[in-house]
This record gives sequence, C-alpha cells and structure tokens, in this order.
Amino acid sequence: MRANERFSFFFKGKLIEARPGDSIGAAMFRAGVRVFTRSFKHHRPRGLMCVAGNCPNCLMNVDGVPSVRVCTAPARPNVRVTPQNVFPSLDFDVLAASQKFDWLMPVGWYYKTFTSRGAWKRVEPWIRKAAGLGEPPPAMAEFAGEAPPYEHRYIHSDVAIIGGGPAGLSAALDASQQGLRAVLIDDQTQLGGHLRFTPSEAERRDRLVEKVLADEKIEVLSRSHCFGLYEDRLLGVVQLPCEGREIESVAHVRAERVVIATGVFEAPLLFENNDLVGVMLSSGVERLIGLYGIVPGSRTVIVGEGPRAERIAALLRDAGSEVAATVRPDQVVSASGSGRVNGLRTADARIACDLIVVCGHRVPNAGLLHQAGAGLEWTDEKGAFLPTRLPPNVEAVGDVTGDDLSPAVAAPPAYPVSKRCYTCYCEDVTTADLSAAIGEGFNEIETLKRYTTVSMGPCQGRMCQISAIGVCANETGRSMGETGVTTSRPPNPSVSLGALAGGAHTPVRRSPLHHEHEALGVVWMNMGEWKRPRYYASDPSLGERECIEREYRAVRERAGVVDVGPLGKIEVTGRDAGRLLDKVYTHRFGNLPIGRVRYAVICDETGTILDDGTISRLADEHYFLTTTTGNLEFVVQWLEWWLIDTGWDVHIANVTGGRSSINVAGPKAREVLSALTDIDLGTDAFKYMACRQGEVAGVPAILLRIGFTGEMGWEVHVPADYGAHVWKSVLEAGRPYDIRPFGVETQRVLRLEKKHVIIGVDTDALSNPYEADMPWVTKLDKPDFIGKASLETLQSTPAGERLIGFTMLDAGRIPEDGASIVRDGEPVGRVTSARYSFVNKTGVGLGWVKAELAQEGQEIMVRVDGEPVRARVQHAAFYDPAGDRLRM
Amino acid sequence: MSFRIPCPQCGERSAYEFRFGGEVLTRPQAGADDDAWYHYSFVRRNEMGIQTEWWYHRFGCRQWLQAVRDTRANRVIRAYFPDGKEQTDLGTGES
Repeated sequence: MRANERFSFFFKGKLIEARPGDSIGAAMFRAGVRVFTRSFKHHRPRGLMCVAGNCPNCLMNVDGVPSVRVCTAPARPNVRVTPQNVFPSLDFDVLAASQKFDWLMPVGWYYKTFTSRGAWKRVEPWIRKAAGLGEPPPAMAEFAGEAPPYEHRYIHSDVAIIGGGPAGLSAALDASQQGLRAVLIDDQTQLGGHLRFTPSEAERRDRLVEKVLADEKIEVLSRSHCFGLYEDRLLGVVQLPCEGREIESVAHVRAERVVIATGVFEAPLLFENNDLVGVMLSSGVERLIGLYGIVPGSRTVIVGEGPRAERIAALLRDAGSEVAATVRPDQVVSASGSGRVNGLRTADARIACDLIVVCGHRVPNAGLLHQAGAGLEWTDEKGAFLPTRLPPNVEAVGDVTGDDLSPAVAAPPAYPVSKRCYTCYCEDVTTADLSAAIGEGFNEIETLKRYTTVSMGPCQGRMCQISAIGVCANETGRSMGETGVTTSRPPNPSVSLGALAGGAHTPVRRSPLHHEHEALGVVWMNMGEWKRPRYYASDPSLGERECIEREYRAVRERAGVVDVGPLGKIEVTGRDAGRLLDKVYTHRFGNLPIGRVRYAVICDETGTILDDGTISRLADEHYFLTTTTGNLEFVVQWLEWWLIDTGWDVHIANVTGGRSSINVAGPKAREVLSALTDIDLGTDAFKYMACRQGEVAGVPAILLRIGFTGEMGWEVHVPADYGAHVWKSVLEAGRPYDIRPFGVETQRVLRLEKKHVIIGVDTDALSNPYEADMPWVTKLDKPDFIGKASLETLQSTPAGERLIGFTMLDAGRIPEDGASIVRDGEPVGRVTSARYSFVNKTGVGLGWVKAELAQEGQEIMVRVDGEPVRARVQHAAFYDPAGDRLRM
Repeated sequence: MSFRIPCPQCGERSAYEFRFGGEVLTRPQAGADDDAWYHYSFVRRNEMGIQTEWWYHRFGCRQWLQAVRDTRANRVIRAYFPDGKEQTDLGTGES
C-alpha cells in the first residue's frame, strides 16, 4: 500500500473509506458514524469520547475479536467491524426502552430480587443477553493446523520505560546516554504522546522520536499496554496487532529499573445527560483534530475554565467550528438532546450546539505504581491523587507526578444526584445509584465499588474513579483524601485470555526411532512431551482394532518389538550407590546380585506410591534404573535431594536421551535376538529378571530380561545414534518369525492381561502399596527408608479401598477408563484401565473398589454407556497367572 | 510469582526457572513417634516473614539450593548450596 493511498473496510456490510494513519474509529467518524455503542445496562447510544482507548464507548468486534477499542485500533483494508450488545441495531435498539424502567432496576436489584431458589437460574440467560460485551472469539481448537495468533516473549533490559510521551522519550534517551539498554513501552501506534496532537510541539516531537528510533540501545514496543508491575520489576505487557505484526503477544519484561511516564488521562465531569453522543472530552477533540484532521462539531460549547478552555476554544475556532460559549463547570445543569446533543442548559439559559467539549479531570495514570505498592495521596491544589512512596528502583517522571496539574473543579463539589448523570459509562452507574447505595450503608469507597460495580467495567475506573470518590466524599461529608482510592490490581488494562494462554512454546520429544516408525505407517499419540506410536496402520484395509489385534497376536504367538525409548533411564554409580537406592526405594538393592534386575517402587514419607521401574545391577558400583516416562525428572531430583548432606559417594546421571530402547517380546524373541548377539540367551544362562552387557547387531548394549508384556522378552538399551540400526536389524532377524512392531495400545492390552499396573494411571496421589495389591515391594525389615514409618502403620491398618482386577461378564461391553463402579446406584469405586482381552474374549480391567468388595469372585457393577454392567473380581492375572511364559 | 532467586551457580534468575521444594525441615530419626512423622509429613509453618526453602534450578544448573525468602515481600534475601560452600547475597538496595 502506498503512503497516501486510501483504502476501505466494512462496517455493518457498508464500505468505510479510510486514510493512511486512521484508526478504525476515526475513519468511521469521518464517514458520518456517530453512535458507536449501546451502553451496558440502559442501552443508551454512546459515541466517541476520549479517542485514547480509555473509555468504553467504542468497543466493537473487529474480524471476530470482541471489545476492540476502535478509536485507537489502526484501520486496515477489508477488516469487518460490527457493533456488539445491540438489538437490532446501533441506531435503533429496542432495549433502550429499559432506561424508562430503570426505577425497576436500581443498583443491586439482582441481589435483592432473585433470591428464591431457581429464580436466578431462570433469569440469568436473559440478563446475560441484555447486558454484556459481545461474543467470545472462536475457540483455540478452530485454529487447528495453523499457529494461533498469539505468542509469548521474554525481554531483559536495564531500564523499562512505560509511556512514549515527552517524559518517556527523554527518559529513554537519558538511559541510552548512560550506556544502558532500554525498552520503551507505548500504547499508541506512534510515539510522542500528547505532542502528537499539539501543533506547537510538532518539531519537538519529531526531534525526540527521530533520536529514539535511531538509537540501537532503545527497543520500542508500540501499541503495547503494560498491564501489571510485579515483584522484582517484572512487567506484563500485551502488544496488540498493528501494521506489520499480526500476532498479539504477551511480553514478560524484566528490568533493573522501571520508569513510569504514563502521563495523565482525562475523565468526564458530572452533569445530567453527560453521556449523550456529542459530549466529548477536550483531549478527544484535540486528538480528532490533530491526528486525523476531523472537526467533530460545527457549533461548540466548551465546559471548563482557564487556559485549558481558552486553548481548546482557539483550536476549534482555527479548525472552523463556531464556539458558541464557554461555560464554567459549576454552571452547567444538563446537556439536552434525544440521543444526540442539541444544546447545553445552564441555570439561566439554553445554548444550542452540536458538540459539548468537557475539560475534564486530568488524572495521573498511576495505576501501575499503585499496584506495585506505591501510595496515592490526594492533593487539593492539584485536584488529583498523586503517587508517593514508590517501590525500590521504580520512578515516576512527567505528568504522572502531577507536575502540571490544576483542578478541573473544586473537589468534592455538590454533584447533582440524578438518574441521567453518569458516573460509570461502562456499567451505567449514575450519581443517583451511588447516592442510593451510600444511603443503604455502602459508604466506604471499597464497598461502594463492590455493590454498585462502579470502576469494575472495561475502563477499570479510568472514567469514573475520580468522580465516584467525589460523590462518596460529598455524600458522606468526608474529604477526598479521607475517602481514598480503591485498590489497583493487575491486569489493567484487560488482556485477552488467548494472549495469556496461547502461543506458549510446547516442546516435542521424538524417539531416535521416529523416522523408522513413520516408514512403517505409524499412528502417533502424544504422551507428555513425547510422540509415541499408538499403533501401526500396517494394512490400509484394516481398522485400528484389527491392526492392534495383529500386533497383539504377533507378540503372544511369535515375536513383536516396541520402542520404549521414552522410558526414563538413570545410571547411578559410586561406592554408596546401593545405600542411596536402599534409602529411596522401598525394596532392597544393596544386596542385589550383579547381573540381576528387580522391580522398584518409590514411596513418599506418607507411603504413597510415587513411581516405579526396574533397577539392574550392572557392576558392583553401577546400577541402571528405569522410571516411568512422566516422572523421570522428578525421580532424578528426588534422588539428588536425598543424597544431599549424606557425604556418600554417589553419582547420578540421566541418560534417557542418550539411549535408544526397545523391547523384543514373544515366544520367538530368543531366536530373533540370538541371530544378533553372542550372549547366551538360554533359559538358564539368561534367566528371567537377569541383565547382561554385550553386543547386539554389533552395538554395545544393556539387555534386561523382563516381562511387562507377559511374554519372554528382552529390553535392549543401545546408544541413541545406533538405535535405528538395531531396530532395523531386529525386524530383519525376525522376518522368518513374522515379527511385528507394536505400539502403546497393544502394549497396554498385553500388560493389562498380566495385571501389571501403570503408576499414575492405575494409582493416584493416595495409593499405597498395600491397597494397590503389591505388599511385596516393601521391605520393612530394612533399617530405614523413605516412607518406612508410614508403611509400617499402613501395613497394620485395614485398607479402605483396594486395587482389583475384573472381567466383564457381558463380553461385548468394555467400560471406559475412569468409569464408575456402582452398588445400588451409588458409586463404590472406579475403573482405571479396561480393554478387550483377545485371550479372554471379554473385557478385562483394573479398578479401585471399597475393600469389602475386593473378594475373589465378587460380582460388581461397572457403568458402561451410562448403565451398570456385571463384572467379576479376579485376583490372579488374566493371562498366564503362574508366569510360566516369562521363564521359558 | 515473579521474584528472582540468586542461584549460587548461575546468578540471579527468575523464579520461573526453579521448582519449589518446600520449607527446609529436619527429617525425624528412624523410630520416631507418629506425632513426629505427622508433623514432618503434613504440618508446615507457612511463615509470614523470613523462611528457608528448598529450590531446584530446573532450567539452569539442575542443583538443589536453599533460599532465605521474606514471604511478605516475596523477596529472596540469600541463596546457597546446602553444603554451605557457595552462597550469593542480593546486592545492596534490595532490602
């Protein structure tokens, strides 16, 4: 797009022409749009007022994103802008009739009205429809396939400056001159603050901005709102999309020093009908004229006094608007007009006009400082709450300190208490509402805020706080300072949930065999960070279940191979390695013979099972541990932690990423592996639960003979770089036996038939080894170990629940994992795993039931598709209960 | 939770990089009574003020350290490895 080319976008299906540099709101205003929103409760028409992104008067839906402040959002070609919370349209809203009945809905009416049981339930949908702030944007799921338009960034800087006005620009240049890196955070599209729309300051602005932009030590974040100032100077910053950047991002900015140069914003004055379309703040008018060349009225009345009123009058006259009068605020009675302003009424006259410019309160924008712990102190001669007692390494410069302020009106003045005198534009709270609430006893500013919702809308008190405090002070006879301010809390301004949640980087871990699986037609599943084969779609004509059955039959009848690379793998070495394992694991390992493997469980001090795995002793001072995939990091930290202060000689190394691991299983596993290794795999030479080191397919390997699947099998761990070679060699050597690769789903069926539990699936944060039916893992005659004291108690305590196996008595019905187990309609347990067992030709599963139901042969009812189905408790494994096949 | 922890190995880092490991407690001797185990397992001081805590530097040196934190201001005053060999103090101007 060339610099001066005009373009257009859509508003309610009509084309709106925009000039380069226009905001959406400015282009609409130029095209004649005056009503931008309908108010939250009374559905009164509202138009542009602040033109600074502070007030709630221009919230619209832009390309599906709700509540965009169009007065500052840059116009872009072809965007679609639609009004929100209107029925049927902005210009004619039937719900505006509600303001005729607002006496029926005084502040707090829903607290008092809908008190009977169920009443709120019935009316809530209607209230939500009538009041509200637009529709939520599309769910994240709808971004599937493309990156969501959000990201998180982390910025470290010596100095962070918030506010791109003259004070902020100067602070950035000062920092740079001291050799410091600075990040300058400004909420507008262009730097300069109020200098941008002050004609006499144009040259000064250009000079400052040019220097800042040319300075390599200064990073500028435009259209960025700092929404929180947290401990140790962490700033939460949301950066909205603007030209050249489509993504909305949250920047976590950490700075050694923070400079708040947020300036002041303008807040409205109180008089009747002060919300009519055509009543604008003076700075809004300055922006429309100075930034966009738009003169918002032809005949103006200015409400204000002193140099500010004179300046705005001169500006309007120069721009070609007739200034009919300048009226002191205390003389104003009301604005008149139906929806649009057509005059201003004073005590003794009515002045016709189409624009009322209010020289409002100039409020230091000190919310961030207040959040961070600074005080706000009322100063009569400034007419403002000024920041005091700043936190360490946080400073305030420029207008936010109150340097240049004078009161707009003497405070607290005698405000009119009227139903048409709006304090809070966001939620339609009037001076009459505040007065009534104070009359009901909500006479402290904090309770007044909660009861009336004043200052709780989208503008977060920018427009209403100062006047609400004024009303409260006036009605209660207190001073402004005694009344005080409400607490500032982040986030302010609001941040979209998508920006907070979305776009975080999610790491993906892939096994060294990833590409081998792809070549075999794998169907992936996500397991934590890992991608794991769920099953292999080995034959396109077969469905998932048939594929899994083929994999299953290969393992049970011939041979199969599974990638167990994501298993956690830890090497523990040193003179005292066995001592540490004896301390941390419940079983005994100091006496584990070299060349043997033992099942291993970790409990915490309360006796709860934390993890399981195997421990193999490769040499006198060398143990090889496996852990569950998800708990690896935890187990490493846990071992390290218990090693502290012992003085023991132990070294712990996480070798998970360095090893590729597979499990070759099935009655022909011995034949398959024997073709690849010289190690004697004979029944007696390499017993069940033994381990050896040697070469497999020419690669140094650790072999563990274990039986998670219930068949004879070896877990083979080789250096990751050689994983693919070994995998391919195994498949090749297994070809005569029709070996098959199998996935996690097949492995789950295989292990479930053996009743092998998965920690974290079949156990939870309360399961102990006794209730989980594995008392043999605890060696209470060991001198001391983690959890011993609790386990001793638990051993002699009757179990509340027990982990049981069950078979379904109705072969066709398989419960889902997590289904409830019921008795007489009441839940008495839950299923943790259930699958169709190909050998038992029915569903089998594991689950927890009340201890009295854990008897062998006990019939239980499991819910399947919402109805109870009969099942029977079985203690022995569903397949090869004696374990003969493991020992062949 | 946005405070920083002065890791004795890596320097001052965001608390995001660490895993919290709880208050520093003394484990009862083997054979201690149930009450001692109950307190050790379930009862925490949750000090409003200065307390000493375990932190693990997950995204850094992967070592356990102890930090002395003022819970009222969420400010870490001192951090050190449990053997006490190395320790770092926050610079002046912080407290």
